[in-house]
Amino acid sequence: MSRLATVRAAVTAVALVAGIVLVYFLPHADRIGYIKGSQLGVYFIAILGLNIVTGYTGQISLGHGAFMAIGGYTTAILVSEHGVRDLWTIPIAALVAGLAGFVVGVPALRLSGLYLALATFGLALAMPAILSWDKLDAVTKSGQEIQLFNSPHLLGKGFEDVHFLGRTLSFNHAVYYLTWGIALLLLAVAWLILRGAPGRAFRAVRDSELAATSSGVRVATYKTLAFAISAAYAGIAGSLFVIALAFADPQSFPATLSLTLIVGAAVAGLGSLWGVLAGAAFVQFLPDFAVHISKAQGVPDTVYGAALILIVLLLPTGVAGGLRRALSPLTTRLYTRSQSQ
Amino acid sequence: MTQFLQQVVAGLASGSIYALLALGIVIIYRSTGIVNFAQGEMATFTTFVAWTLVDHGVGYWGAFALTLVIAFAGGIALERTIVRRVEGGPVITAVILTIGLFILLGGLSNWIWKAEVRSFPPDRPFPTSAWDVGGVAISKQDAGILAVTVVLVLALWALFQLTKLGLALRASALNPTASRLVGIRVGWMLALGWGLAAALGAVAGLFTAAANPPLDPNMMRPVLIYALAAAVLGGLESPVGAIVGGLAIGVVLNLIVTYDTHVHLDLDRMRIPMAFLAILIVLLVRPAGIFGRTAVRRV
Amino acid sequence: MSRVLFIATAALLALGIPVAFGGTQADPGITATSIHIGGTTPLSGSAQAFQSVAKGADAYFKYVNSRGGVNKRKINYEYLDDQYIPSETVRQTRVLVEDKDVFAIFNSLGTEQNEAIRPYLNTKDVPQLFVATGGTTFGRDSKQYPWTIAYQPTYIAEGAMYGAYIRRTSPKQKIAILYQNDSYGGDLVKGLERGLGPRKSNIVSRVSYAATDDNVQSQIAQLRSSKAGILMLFATPKFVIQAYQYVNGLGWKPKIFVNAVSSASNVMVLSSSQGKNKRVEGSISIVFLKDPNDPKWAKDPAVLLYRKIMKRYAKGSNIKDVYNLYGMSVAFTFVDALKHAGKNPTRASLMRAATHLNERNNPFLLPRMSVRTAANDHYPLDQARLQRWHNGRWISFGGLLKARS
Repeated sequence: MSRLATVRAAVTAVALVAGIVLVYFLPHADRIGYIKGSQLGVYFIAILGLNIVTGYTGQISLGHGAFMAIGGYTTAILVSEHGVRDLWTIPIAALVAGLAGFVVGVPALRLSGLYLALATFGLALAMPAILSWDKLDAVTKSGQEIQLFNSPHLLGKGFEDVHFLGRTLSFNHAVYYLTWGIALLLLAVAWLILRGAPGRAFRAVRDSELAATSSGVRVATYKTLAFAISAAYAGIAGSLFVIALAFADPQSFPATLSLTLIVGAAVAGLGSLWGVLAGAAFVQFLPDFAVHISKAQGVPDTVYGAALILIVLLLPTGVAGGLRRALSPLTTRLYTRSQSQ
Repeated sequence: MTQFLQQVVAGLASGSIYALLALGIVIIYRSTGIVNFAQGEMATFTTFVAWTLVDHGVGYWGAFALTLVIAFAGGIALERTIVRRVEGGPVITAVILTIGLFILLGGLSNWIWKAEVRSFPPDRPFPTSAWDVGGVAISKQDAGILAVTVVLVLALWALFQLTKLGLALRASALNPTASRLVGIRVGWMLALGWGLAAALGAVAGLFTAAANPPLDPNMMRPVLIYALAAAVLGGLESPVGAIVGGLAIGVVLNLIVTYDTHVHLDLDRMRIPMAFLAILIVLLVRPAGIFGRTAVRRV
Repeated sequence: MSRVLFIATAALLALGIPVAFGGTQADPGITATSIHIGGTTPLSGSAQAFQSVAKGADAYFKYVNSRGGVNKRKINYEYLDDQYIPSETVRQTRVLVEDKDVFAIFNSLGTEQNEAIRPYLNTKDVPQLFVATGGTTFGRDSKQYPWTIAYQPTYIAEGAMYGAYIRRTSPKQKIAILYQNDSYGGDLVKGLERGLGPRKSNIVSRVSYAATDDNVQSQIAQLRSSKAGILMLFATPKFVIQAYQYVNGLGWKPKIFVNAVSSASNVMVLSSSQGKNKRVEGSISIVFLKDPNDPKWAKDPAVLLYRKIMKRYAKGSNIKDVYNLYGMSVAFTFVDALKHAGKNPTRASLMRAATHLNERNNPFLLPRMSVRTAANDHYPLDQARLQRWHNGRWISFGGLLKARS
């Protein structure tokens, strides 16, 4: 192991431990609590997934909220209509959303840059209407609210204490630990994927498709693979979203959700996993903070929009990029700077 | 038949509004390679500026003209101060920036003008009365808006194709480095693109407030969806494509939803999915849109 | 490295130390000097215009607090943003109940939004007071959901009033309907059919729009081809204003009924294009509040009080917005219920008071209207008057009618 690698591993480990400590104590911080902490975890997972496709293969998706919808609806329908235990629906949601991601990923091969961004945004816009379509009544209950509250197949029926490993947790505690347990597991999986051969292939595709092709990387395979994995992550996030609220309806997954996710991914820093928590925290807490400043009409959006623009201008490579620049030695700094231009 | 034609007329009316907003999106894309998600909110903001002028006693047309100037200057200022910093960078950064502008401008409109519903003086810009053509009512307002839209597209075409300024605009967008070498002030050309787009947005906003009243801070959000669809359908960089795309979306959606009453596919809530299905099909057949040119791949 | 992650995950899960909660004594959210209530409202997003319902109520509570509160308790009304998205309503309501320990949920806005939180609040025995929607289910299903109570006349009742009036005055006219394709529009249509009774077959055309549409020109053109003599506008203000313009432009001259959500006089003035659009003249709607823009209430003490409170406690708000006054009316009723909930209210005693109201002095309602409820009657406001638009203002006609379905 070279010295640089040792340093990196140490920094990574410290960041990891710091992250875990942060996650453990987060709900006790002022005004947060377990409910918002769970939502933060849901954003964390979805942004992590989005980062795989947008950050590592460079395919911009403005439609990941739609994959969350697919995952969320998979869980909602399986629990409410087929009596499947909620925890078992999570892998199924991943599978269904991943499949949807694959299906979207194939035509996405033909689209580049902004065209793909706009086509996926179209998907995000269309999804609530599709879920409400009367002709899909048999599958989606055509837009009616799906109330899972009190369902025996749901963790603590959606509100009761949960018994786990001989301990008793309140429902919100249980959902929080479930969400973050899965989140950290998925972080590890993402890290393993991106560290290995697929990750190298993804990055090669992002940096130059032509170069990747000529060095034997099957560009089409890896691009669709990234889309599918990424959508599966979003599907899991959607599933946890529904479990936490014991509720689903088409409006839960509006087009703005997809924009929120891409904003989170950009704030986090594309192509890096360590900023994801910051990105998720930004989209989770900044709107709350904005409302806290003033509830006067329009002020929250003004504050949120201005903060977002400032972040983009001050940290064009996101929190991860900013950190990397601040921490890395001068040589690396020069290298990174020339990269980002 | 009357029903059919009436729906076509209504579709052209909606479509010309989509086209006008799409036109601004196209101009910005051509000049700076950015898809401006904030185009609708820019339009709303400037329309409120116009309303404020009218409210302070400026005549409608005076306010209209003044607003175009203000919007033009505002667009240039926006590009010079903020947008400039993300040009030429990663596509995603620019996307996030315009999303930020969308949220900020929407917030400001709501903050400054509140949620109060408002309107402009009646029969502005055109009379709301209609001609009766064989049982089909054609609103003078809708006809006027469509005519202005067509004239604006022709004027833009002439500007880009026939004038020296247009040549400089196109050159700066296509190859900034080479343009700089031949003495074009590329930065100002890009700013000019934003200025033009902002002014076009103001026209779109003022027409929307007239044709789809009332004037309210959220009025352009549904329009933006169809305008984006229109711009993509037309190939993102073709003004003619934007107008054809906009009109086509307006007319086809109306006809499908109207005649669905015989087929019962319950398509009345499916306007947005249908618009994007159309985009998807077009993009798969022609990845650069109907009127777009396929870019040469970088090697 | 991955092993570190797994161990960390396991450690994190194991750290989930149980927190034992003692038995409850007093209900949460209430002390000798304060009562903390909460609710949701759209502070951002497409429906943010409706936030005045919360802001008007908040202003009224601040006014009450400035005069000593209720039984020396100050009312602290915390409304959170749900962006008009039902799942956000669920999340924010859970935050209010479980993290912020509110005593009751009050005046949350929207039909789907209140439906989404109803099972939760009823399971937890938290009062869901005076929901800000005309959804019929909140009054009708009180047996199943005893902790939920409605406020305004239901949309079905409103539709039935129009139906009964049409059946009486123009039983032969054909009817066309523009409605929003959700439960709000659907309930109004249902009520209209009920009121028309045997004349239901007079409805010759019904066309819907989605709240996400940009305009309803196509819909109005479709309705016009039915050649109906009556047009029902069961739509929100934006689409009502458009409908009047398109009806006029198409040279169609039906008699128009406009639902109460969109019949505030400032909306009607806009619809009439400063009097130029003659189609607005003669329109019919229902009314139960004093419209602050109506000259006939200009000197009314309640409207003067409304203006005073708005100026002092809701700075920067739009005084012309009648939803503020709606908020004050519902806040007045809440204060009334709280006064009757005993010296030391519990959730149960507040709910009992809310379901045994006999309030004859709510100044913001039309004269002689009362707010009455009973254990099996969760419809506080079940009266309204018909009104006709004439020469730039609403004129009520007929007496107070029962608005109950």
